[in-house]
Amino acid sequence: MSAVIETRKLSKWYGNVLGLSDVTLEIGPGISGLLGPNGAGKSTFLKLLTGQIKPSLGSVTILGEKIKNNYAIFSKIGFCPEHDSFYEEITGWEFLTQLLSLHGFAASEVKIRAEKTLEVVELSRDKDRLVRAYSRGMRQRLKFAQAIAHDPEILVLDEPLAGLDPLGKRKVIRLIKEFKSQGKTIIVSSHVLPEIEALTKTIILIHQGKIFATGDIHYIRDLIESHPHLVSVKCAEPRRLASMLLTEDYIRSINFGPDSKTLVVETKNRDKFFSLLLSLIVESRIDIEEITSPDDNLQAVFDYLVGK
Amino acid sequence: MKSVTKQGRRHFLSSLVRVCSFAFFLSRKSKRTKFFLLFSFLPAAVALIIRFHQVFSEEKRALEGTYAFSNIIMLFYLQFIILVLALFFGTSVCSEEVEGKTLPYLITRPIPKSAVVIGKYAAYTAVPIGMVALGLFLSFAILNIDRLLSIPLYKICFQYLGVLTLGLISYSAFFTFLGSFLKRSIFVGLLFSFGWENVIQYFPGSTQRFAIVHYLKSFLPSSPSGRFSFLTFRLEPTRPEIALLALGLMTAVFLGLACLLFSLKEYNLED
Repeated sequence: MSAVIETRKLSKWYGNVLGLSDVTLEIGPGISGLLGPNGAGKSTFLKLLTGQIKPSLGSVTILGEKIKNNYAIFSKIGFCPEHDSFYEEITGWEFLTQLLSLHGFAASEVKIRAEKTLEVVELSRDKDRLVRAYSRGMRQRLKFAQAIAHDPEILVLDEPLAGLDPLGKRKVIRLIKEFKSQGKTIIVSSHVLPEIEALTKTIILIHQGKIFATGDIHYIRDLIESHPHLVSVKCAEPRRLASMLLTEDYIRSINFGPDSKTLVVETKNRDKFFSLLLSLIVESRIDIEEITSPDDNLQAVFDYLVGK
Repeated sequence: MKSVTKQGRRHFLSSLVRVCSFAFFLSRKSKRTKFFLLFSFLPAAVALIIRFHQVFSEEKRALEGTYAFSNIIMLFYLQFIILVLALFFGTSVCSEEVEGKTLPYLITRPIPKSAVVIGKYAAYTAVPIGMVALGLFLSFAILNIDRLLSIPLYKICFQYLGVLTLGLISYSAFFTFLGSFLKRSIFVGLLFSFGWENVIQYFPGSTQRFAIVHYLKSFLPSSPSGRFSFLTFRLEPTRPEIALLALGLMTAVFLGLACLLFSLKEYNLED
């Protein structure tokens, strides 16, 4: 894999607060998912890659060029910021054409590129509406459009799926995959594992400013799956359910809740547990009121992985 | 080496033009511009009232058009309107991108950061200059409606416009610097505009030279007279060429500092 983006001992402090620590990475073409809980340092890493902030230590190289004071490199990078922020008093068309014109394209070229990009993101029909009248999904696609309109080599997307409904997410995922099929390099950040899984197999795990693991998603999945998982089940017959679960070797412990209707199960194989629970509901007619997972979030998984 | 520098300069200039036209476009569309366009016509409304007073007053000593223009309208512009316009447009050169969290759209383009500052400054100075020019000519025409064919009068009007333009250029540069530096730049700017600038200019000796308005007043075409003269008097006026140099130097220094800060500072876009 030839590295498109290289970081060497990249570190960033905000005063005494550590943003990113000693990150040495090589990222090649295709989609790389940057996965980590909120405050892990994802945005700091992406801002360093796009030259928005300067590293306290270390360096970033994009396509073999240093990013520091190298403005020309930005014609090869498209950046989609995390914030839902726009110049609200203009239309989608104006937003895109004005930002494209900053790249120095001729007016006719700007028009052609804007038309083509709006078509790709399915906003052609709404291009003359004010940005502030756009739905969240449309705004996200417009943000994506401004990042790809100048046809960059590298696309950096900071939480592009945040706040979108399932249909909106599917549209953006399709757009990102289409861009990938052109042989480009894409970095997508998210704190939601299934979102990253839907996009790529190559992931970078980041936690507390440090790169925790890089590689294939299956490896990460295995790591995550070995994380003992807590599942709370509220049912009419908790003792009966407990007796049926106890025989399974992947059940580590079972505790009863204070209301005598809740069962808190600790399992080392979440998927197997849920499939067993489903079969018990159907076959043994266990009446379930509620299933919740107190630590079904990435933060809990990361805390487990880093040995908290 | 020389050609690299030349190429760099050309790239900088073309970036500057692109940013300027981008900011000019945004400015045309913004509600702020529409509001301040109305605001800059305030003196025209005052001129209209004065004119009505001239026409309908039975008093023999009604204000004469040029006198009213030089002593009331100009002061209104010089000590209030251009300060407010420069304050709101100048501080927003940098701060609107930070507060609106739109900064990444600009700084991830192939444009030097200093071109972003100077290009936006140029646009955000040109817009108020246009507003002031419109309002000034309108006020001038209202007050001198019976003498609109008198060419020498236009010379005075253009001279005043020149002073206001210089004022907007210098004040905007100062406020651009303030906006790139401080979070609450409007508040500090208000203190500067209506505290420092409006007080220090009346101090005797050299102290008044620490106010931008002192240098602007050095260009005023006619010597003040009459009951409003206390507002324009110049204790120790600076020679116009020195005043021009001082304003140019201040503008360059403040813009240079703004560019430096904008390039070095890492703005926090979080809530």
